Amino acid sequence: MKKITLMLMLLLSNLLFSQGKIFPFKINKVVLENGLTVLSVPFDSPGIIAYYTVVRAGSRNEVEPGKTGFAHFFEHMMFRGTEKYSEQVYNDILKRLGADSNAFTSADWTAYHIVASSDALETIIDIESDRFMNLKYTEEQFKTEAGAILGEYNKSASSPFLALYEKLQDLAFTTHTYKHTTIGFLKDILDMPNQYDYSLQFFDRYYRPENCAIVVVGDFDQRKLIDLIKKYYGKWKRGNFKPEIPVEPPQTEEKIGHIAWKGKTLPYLMIGYRIPEFSTKNVERAAIDFVAELLFSRTAPLYQKLVIEKQWVDFIQGDAPDRRDPFLFIITTRIKREDLIDSVKNEIFKAIEELKVKPVSKERLEKVKSYMRYSFAMSLDNPNSVAYIVGNYFQLTGDPESVNEIYSLYEKVTPQDIMKAVQKYFTKENRTIVTLTEEKK
Amino acid sequence: MRTQKLIFLIMITSILAIAKNSEIRVKELYSPNYPIVTFRVMIETGSMNDPKGKEGLNALTILMLAQGGTKELTYREIQEKLYPWAARINYQFDKEVSVIIGEVHRDHVDKFYKIFSDLILNPRFDEQDFKRNKDLLLNYIRATIRSGNDEELGKQALVWFIYEDHPYHSPEFGTVQGLSNITLEDVKDFYKKYFTQGNIVFGIAGGYPKSLIGKIKKDFAKLPKGKPEPVQLPEPKKINGLEFLLIEKETRSTAISFGFPIAINRSHKDFYALMVANSYFGEHRTFNGILMQKIRGQRGLNYGDYSYIEHFVQDGGSTFPVPNIPRRQQYFSVWIRPVENKNRHFVLRQAIRELEILVKNGLSKEDFESTREFLLNYSKLWVQTLNRRLGYMMDSDWYGIEYFVDKVQKELRNLTVEDVNNAIRKYLNFENIKIVAVTKDAQSFMQDLISNKPSPITYVSPVSQSILDEDKIIQEYKLNARAENFKIIPVEEVFEK
Repeated sequence: MKKITLMLMLLLSNLLFSQGKIFPFKINKVVLENGLTVLSVPFDSPGIIAYYTVVRAGSRNEVEPGKTGFAHFFEHMMFRGTEKYSEQVYNDILKRLGADSNAFTSADWTAYHIVASSDALETIIDIESDRFMNLKYTEEQFKTEAGAILGEYNKSASSPFLALYEKLQDLAFTTHTYKHTTIGFLKDILDMPNQYDYSLQFFDRYYRPENCAIVVVGDFDQRKLIDLIKKYYGKWKRGNFKPEIPVEPPQTEEKIGHIAWKGKTLPYLMIGYRIPEFSTKNVERAAIDFVAELLFSRTAPLYQKLVIEKQWVDFIQGDAPDRRDPFLFIITTRIKREDLIDSVKNEIFKAIEELKVKPVSKERLEKVKSYMRYSFAMSLDNPNSVAYIVGNYFQLTGDPESVNEIYSLYEKVTPQDIMKAVQKYFTKENRTIVTLTEEKK
Repeated sequence: MRTQKLIFLIMITSILAIAKNSEIRVKELYSPNYPIVTFRVMIETGSMNDPKGKEGLNALTILMLAQGGTKELTYREIQEKLYPWAARINYQFDKEVSVIIGEVHRDHVDKFYKIFSDLILNPRFDEQDFKRNKDLLLNYIRATIRSGNDEELGKQALVWFIYEDHPYHSPEFGTVQGLSNITLEDVKDFYKKYFTQGNIVFGIAGGYPKSLIGKIKKDFAKLPKGKPEPVQLPEPKKINGLEFLLIEKETRSTAISFGFPIAINRSHKDFYALMVANSYFGEHRTFNGILMQKIRGQRGLNYGDYSYIEHFVQDGGSTFPVPNIPRRQQYFSVWIRPVENKNRHFVLRQAIRELEILVKNGLSKEDFESTREFLLNYSKLWVQTLNRRLGYMMDSDWYGIEYFVDKVQKELRNLTVEDVNNAIRKYLNFENIKIVAVTKDAQSFMQDLISNKPSPITYVSPVSQSILDEDKIIQEYKLNARAENFKIIPVEEVFEK
């Protein structure tokens, strides 16, 4: 195995597309009879593995009113134990292993991740499979955890960013669950202690093998891994819930919001343009990822003008998060003076209009493609990052090969594709603008 | 655990070389098949070298290199060149050292090295870059930390408070007045004084061409020889009882940090005993610690509660600390993540009471064994990339110890529970502490604290009788808070001068 991984590292070092694949490692894929997907990648990290359990449910799945923030709340409850391994015993086992263990929730997925010694593989499979199949917690434990969620909200509440995202998403969406952020609306968080029954339902719906994947990256034996997964997860029962995520109608007019911030702050400006969902086939969507680079990378004329020359803003960024349903291209900037907000806004709009009529040069496009390839390659330096990438593309499409497909699609993007995408999506009626400034006394 | 395999990660050789006629120290971590090359240039100069009234000069100088231009290329031209390679130049500045970090795919290492080394050896010191970088630091204080991150504000303010009248007092990022007073000439003078051969270690890791090492030594020999006089560090000011700094701010919750200086760092044997005690008490971002289990786990009072025996900065989204923030003097601290304002008094009582229990009772044999086992395994995960491993190697040299991760293995294996409990009694205490809280209506918090009035809390659901019984003790736990030991300042005054 050592030899194989060394060869893989050499392959990575040349950074060529062999058969159109940017991901330099082979992804083994096995699907169990109950629908559980097992994705494994041998990686040169002697004695270490990263172990992810990917659940294809996030705040996007919070379809009932009053239940925002539940996917995230549920992530917390997963640490509250089972009959076999109580919360304390589960923690004690991880502690003994010296494992680095945590979890996160986003709009589309929830992931539970552990980095530990390869020797711990069976123990990890045992405790992880147990909690996914047999989670058990009392109403009291549930209510206590609701306090920790409020604490998590509170720790973020001092940042203007939470307020900006809340406002932007609330305005930009009328129907789809992307209307709320992952942590949820404060009023729903405050009501969480009363939602014990719903939490059980949430587990029953989404924590099912056909909705999950196990991702293992690092130093392990493939045959042994699959045998152990079958042994421990084999009895996990398939579910049948199909969430009906409301479809957002097209936006027809510009939306504008403002936040008066208590306390001192510099002004912030956030602009969201409605764009299509992640796709490995839709070249327009791929072209939008180039817009992020052409407008907001450090070499972009707009960035140079606003940050370096005029120095009107101290940062500006823009990108299109990969989402399963149509979401937003989000531009965020912090402006040095309130009287500059309109000027900054106009410069952003001017740069967007220019992209609609002036094709980007071939040379510039090649530089962006090169950046994207190298940036990806440099992210593959440890098993945890690799597992994250595999898990992320699995949750987006159900197939981790999407990582290779999307980078192949990027290679095909032309200056005309970019112009067309900007013309179509970066319009006035398709955008939402939120500003945040100090409250006037 | 296959320790040997872990230790000899890939094919690694490490060499600390000093070239003929060059005082530059080069720390190598060569791994021929590793496609990413990392440079970590450590300058043994930090905010402790900031002249009085010019706090932030070290930070601004580092920014003028890492985020500036070279004699040949403007900042913009550099960005243009680095972009297609996705090469990165980052920086860190701390009390005693600063680091400029470069990362590049080895396909472009030669061209990248030329730019990277020129930034340090032939900086442009452009007036426009100066204005932009100064704004960046000022806005970090005014907008980011004061306005948008109460937890970070509390933690930074604690260090500021602990090290009053001490070279560590100047914040790493400067103060508003200090930064405002700095001119570009000051930056140039600072650079001339501190960027000398003897003051720099060049760290390099990955699959770089071996010929690069000679080139580095030759190029950096152009810097003036010698090393500036090190700053003498006095003992930090003695803490007299519980000393409070309350930062008044309109906020929906209270962020609390408290701590005190400790006399040891990684170079001292007792540090490793204290490491076990600290992990048991409050290991960062885990559920292992007593503080986390009792405050969040049992009571749901906030998101997290941790403790530290050295300055700690989390590395991005991981749970591990960034390397290259070594300090001769360290401090013990507790980080209480924001609690509802109505529970602030209770939680502070609870955390200090837990510290008292730790100091008085120490660890049981079982707790000692399980915590040691945790650390023996966990510490191997600290260095999963060559970049981090290189950083840890450089820190080990700085402290004058063997490779830290190996030293943890060695020292921890030799420890007994008595060693740990002796170290707790020797270095920790629960009576002389500096406490910082970022909170609303600080005056009433002060009155509550001075009066020692009971601070009961309520739960939304029934909790076990044992917790309720303990709460009764906590809510009346006496804190020695005296009116003369309080400072209340509005948030606008923090890091102002």
